[in-house]
Amino acid sequence: MTANVLSAPTYTDIPSPLGPIIAEYRIAPGTAISYSVTQGQYIQIIDVAGAQCSDFLAFNANDYGQEIDSTVTRTLNGVTNPQAGLHSKYFSPSMQPLVEVIQDTCGRHDSFFLACTPRYYEDAGYPGHPSCSDNFNRVLAPHGMASRSGWPAINFFYNTQVDCHGHILSEESWSRSGDYVLLRAHQDLLCASSACPDDIDPANGWQPTSIHIRVYGADQSARPTFSRAMGRRVAADFPLRLTQDSAFTPCIRPLTDNVIEYNGFWVPNSFAHQGDQAEYWALRRRAALMDLSALRKFEVTGPDAFALLQYAFSRNVEKITSGRSGYGCLLNPHGGIVDDGIVFCFGPTHYRYVGNCDTDGDWLQRIAQRQGWSVDIEAVSDRIHNLALQGPKSRDILRPLTSFADPTITLDTLGYFQFTAARVGDIPLLLSRTGYTGELGYELFVHPDKGAQLWHLLLQSGQSAGLLPLGMKALDRARIEAGLLASGYEFDDLTSPYQAGIGWTVAMKKPDFIGKTALDKVRQHPPRVAVGLVLAGNEVAAQGQNIYPQGERWRIGQITSATFSPIRNQSIAMAQVVPEYAAPGTPVEIGLLDGIKRRVVATVGPLAAFDPTKSRVRI
Amino acid sequence: MEHPLWDLAGVDGLAVARSLFGAEVDYLAPFQSMETRLQDKNCSVLRLCDRNFRIVYAGPLQQLITPLKAKIWLKQFDWLARLSLPISLLPEIISQATVRPPHRLKDIPNHRAVPAQLQGMPLLIWQHPHQGQPILELHAARQDLKTLTSKLEQIQSL
Repeated sequence: MTANVLSAPTYTDIPSPLGPIIAEYRIAPGTAISYSVTQGQYIQIIDVAGAQCSDFLAFNANDYGQEIDSTVTRTLNGVTNPQAGLHSKYFSPSMQPLVEVIQDTCGRHDSFFLACTPRYYEDAGYPGHPSCSDNFNRVLAPHGMASRSGWPAINFFYNTQVDCHGHILSEESWSRSGDYVLLRAHQDLLCASSACPDDIDPANGWQPTSIHIRVYGADQSARPTFSRAMGRRVAADFPLRLTQDSAFTPCIRPLTDNVIEYNGFWVPNSFAHQGDQAEYWALRRRAALMDLSALRKFEVTGPDAFALLQYAFSRNVEKITSGRSGYGCLLNPHGGIVDDGIVFCFGPTHYRYVGNCDTDGDWLQRIAQRQGWSVDIEAVSDRIHNLALQGPKSRDILRPLTSFADPTITLDTLGYFQFTAARVGDIPLLLSRTGYTGELGYELFVHPDKGAQLWHLLLQSGQSAGLLPLGMKALDRARIEAGLLASGYEFDDLTSPYQAGIGWTVAMKKPDFIGKTALDKVRQHPPRVAVGLVLAGNEVAAQGQNIYPQGERWRIGQITSATFSPIRNQSIAMAQVVPEYAAPGTPVEIGLLDGIKRRVVATVGPLAAFDPTKSRVRI
Repeated sequence: MEHPLWDLAGVDGLAVARSLFGAEVDYLAPFQSMETRLQDKNCSVLRLCDRNFRIVYAGPLQQLITPLKAKIWLKQFDWLARLSLPISLLPEIISQATVRPPHRLKDIPNHRAVPAQLQGMPLLIWQHPHQGQPILELHAARQDLKTLTSKLEQIQSL
């Protein structure tokens, strides 16, 4: 059947509409509907109660042979399922986009399996059980479409993944009540959506429920509520977070279409007509400008601010005096790294922690509460966005632009890991001599209202010095060369600072801090230690590849990050190996491909392949 | 007579390119190019990927590469055709061509190539200098050459 537009009932069990609705359908549990949309319209598929799969079909309205083809879609996107952003479109067999993901609050769907079929239920001992494929056959028959044994659908909210053995695993859906996928139609389409009837396995939480469809008009594209976004959940008690622009993104978008999601923000991967090599060399030879607003900032204030950070942060905060900052990590009780970051000291009762995670502030708050300390933790990431100006010419670019409230400070006397209030042009900001590239550089923390102005001023002022904007690809290459850690690669909360290569940030002489007892044991003999590797050939290693002693079958470690270093003209890697094989000069083997077909000899060296003494950042 | 197109790729593709053309070649991003001299002959080098290069060169390239004993291949594709056109045609071609994100044709600078489609026909649009003057070079499937030429004649007549 073709569903009719409902007479505008108010649904209280789902989130408010994203805009004016032109059609709305409630799909009863275990059923399916067909409906039409025109090019440019938006389809919102909402999981009403949570954990409910909704299989989706779309056909070109003028040629039903042009339907969503998952194999074409995976091939053209290079991802298992399209995501909001660059790789967002579902394609037809003729490689034309049919629909595009604009927003997705769930992030886990299936495109490997058919919509559930009668055969699936028959084989499980349920002959005659309703199925999405049979339901689709019924609703598509009036459109002249022949029945199929199974429909190759996009199974929204269906939780499947391919494991390392090649098995496709399915489990209960990740979606919560109100989760949705917002699609934009690229052609006039006949669509079909189901509320999957599967109650014989966990796919729908054993209890099929409803699905809700809303269709919005084609003129919504300019509305901010229809901006492209992925939904991310970082903790059970944290709200869903949609990908956002930084203050600089509006300046960046005209310069590139290669924008990716990183830690909740849209960031450039590389810039058009420029490329990551040019950006990398600009950084190493001249200067580069990058948006690092995805860092999370927290104000730590109050009479016990020092006590809290001295207890939670790995460094001796006594040594981080006013106007100085220190790199280290937040620790958990077993000595694992909760996050790495920088503590800025404004005074004994005012610090700022800059890290990677939304949950850092909550972690500090919990510690303060447990200890009975009087501290306020305030998340200020939405008020402070930041650019990094890095490279040997960064100081020369900033010098004529910068003025300081404190007349004793000059740009040339602002030392490594020092910061101060400053003006660049007439823009007030916090200027910090820090970075993530292994080069002389500065980070500029500014109110988002002034972000665009600052971006344009710096880019224009640096033009004659050869300044280029820099994307994530070049930044990743530079940070690997410099031996700088990335969360999820070099560490997580099961990794100690000694394993990650930042044991030097742990002030073991402090009387007490979180994880001290555990770390005191770990440091004697860490299970693995961080090293740098230089490969003998030009092949580039990859995260997770195993490392072996020469000629042996047993492993001694794994690659954490790898790249080809242009400045060294060598393939390099960061790795974590057992201490027995961590001595500089030790030859090891990296297992490429399946670890058996080809091994490449590599030599152990310092974690930073480029400028290991950090001379360039201290210039 | 136009110089032939050579394609070079493999694990040691970058190493060979550096050996032939100098470290400058690693300053190129994919789809950027440089002009140089090799054995006293003009040479255009277009980087297509990290370890893939296309070279316009009239000399015996294979002879220069063989002694390097590198893990690469060097080929001249008989299915790939090349057209050199006056740069004045570029604006009109850009107006009629399409690209797939994240590629962009707008404001294409010199020494830059972009994979594009001209009225549905796939081609590589490359702007680079030849004898000191910017030229427009199109690479397309040889089987499309006749149709492409016809399309270009239509564009030229506009």
